[in-house]
Amino acid sequence: MSQIDITIGSPIVHLAARVLASLPGAHRHHATRSGWETDVTELFVVITVIAVALIFDFTNGFHDSANAMAGPVATGALRPRTAVILGALLNVVGACLSTEVAKTISGGFFDDALITVPMILAGLLGAIIWNLMTWLFGLPSSSSHALFGGLIGAVVVGAGLASVNGWVIVSKVLLPAIVAPLVAGIAAAWATRLAYRITRKTPSVHSNTGFRYGQAFTASMVALAHGTSDGQKTMGVITLVLIAANLQASGTGPQLWVIIAAGIAIGLGTYSGGWRIMRTMGKGIVEIETPQGAASGAATSATILASAHLGFGLSTTHVSTGSILGSGVGRGAEVRWSVASRMVFAWLLTLPGAGLVGGLAALLADQGVVGVIALIVLLAGVCLVIYALSRRHRITHANVTDSHEVLVLAAAAPPSTYPDDPRLETPPKLKKKKVKRPKEKSAA
Amino acid sequence: MHIDWAALGVVTVVSITTSVIFTILLATGIRLVSVAKIKSNEGGSGTAIVSAGYTLLGIAGLLVLYGIYLIVPQLH
Repeated sequence: MSQIDITIGSPIVHLAARVLASLPGAHRHHATRSGWETDVTELFVVITVIAVALIFDFTNGFHDSANAMAGPVATGALRPRTAVILGALLNVVGACLSTEVAKTISGGFFDDALITVPMILAGLLGAIIWNLMTWLFGLPSSSSHALFGGLIGAVVVGAGLASVNGWVIVSKVLLPAIVAPLVAGIAAAWATRLAYRITRKTPSVHSNTGFRYGQAFTASMVALAHGTSDGQKTMGVITLVLIAANLQASGTGPQLWVIIAAGIAIGLGTYSGGWRIMRTMGKGIVEIETPQGAASGAATSATILASAHLGFGLSTTHVSTGSILGSGVGRGAEVRWSVASRMVFAWLLTLPGAGLVGGLAALLADQGVVGVIALIVLLAGVCLVIYALSRRHRITHANVTDSHEVLVLAAAAPPSTYPDDPRLETPPKLKKKKVKRPKEKSAA
Repeated sequence: MHIDWAALGVVTVVSITTSVIFTILLATGIRLVSVAKIKSNEGGSGTAIVSAGYTLLGIAGLLVLYGIYLIVPQLH
């Protein structure tokens, strides 16, 4: 904690006034790794980037909360609140446990030397906005792909299309996006089939308790693993920015306050639940029964651990979704393939989508302090709009398992029943088949 | 940049095998414990079956512990 007091804490007191004073002539040269001078303008940018990185970390948490907890919440193995508290704690613990921070943030997509601090800011913005938009539609998508996409977009704007290695995109994004759901899906399908065959004659009163314990344990492992891997990302970004700004010695690890701040940000995000995504994963793809949930949890944690330790990186989101899909197929349940295909579509769009936002943000971030301030205002505006849209059909811990749909626009519901939609008071209980909504009544 | 097909193959095999083994242990353990419970309710003795069931559940628990060992970098 002392570091922030010495290097950032004391100047921050005078910062607001001095930044305002420096605004008219703020078009100084931009930060590059070689020629960075720590003056007020750049300090302002650094602090902004750190704040935005923590916001990204928060969206990372609530976007991925469902990866671990959608299954247990859907089957009732964990109550929604308990699930997110457990997930949040394990994410914080995981983030604090991870000792080794990724050496590069480029992931091999482009040359690390090309990255400037404004590019990092633009990339983070692209990732945050993409995460919020997919959350609004209740679509699980990979936060790492969003971050890479945002950074790639910013780098393309700054250094041209040729600076990005397209082959790496194929091998690190496209191929894993196909492989992850396939591997996890096959594992989950077989495991589910076996679980049902073995316990066919066991009374469900007995079997459910056991399977629920199994599910709670595997979900906890996924949450812990998520903290160790995704907590690092933000720590890596903040540390890189501090080093680039000469506020931290090159080659040193993350400061204690960086670790704690990143851990808390991802934990708070997880705690807030991302209930829209939780509903899609727990209810939208397929109805999850208890033995099926245990089998898909086993497949998710096994695949995540295998991919992390045997050298072929797979996205937690893609693995979890694949497991749930596979477990549905294994049980012979009715899988909503339309939801599944919409998700795959979102996965493919994540990199270019976040890249587009990141690229546009990079144009602004390049305009010095004025651009940075404009970016923050824009980000706040986008957050507010998306939040307002999400309020039209709120999904919380109380109603997450009541339906399988994530509605976004009012047009998605019969207009005459809004906003006194009866669903909001008494959501229809879903039997095996989709229940018809009482639209005709109100239209008449 | 090449694609590490070997690593991909290993990840596939290990993921599927581990998931299936864990689920077999869990499901069989649950079934045995349930069978023993029903037996003792009917006045019989299910001691052998129940201990076999809990052994299997214990092995499944060990797999979870191994998973935690893999996740926590300080342990290895």
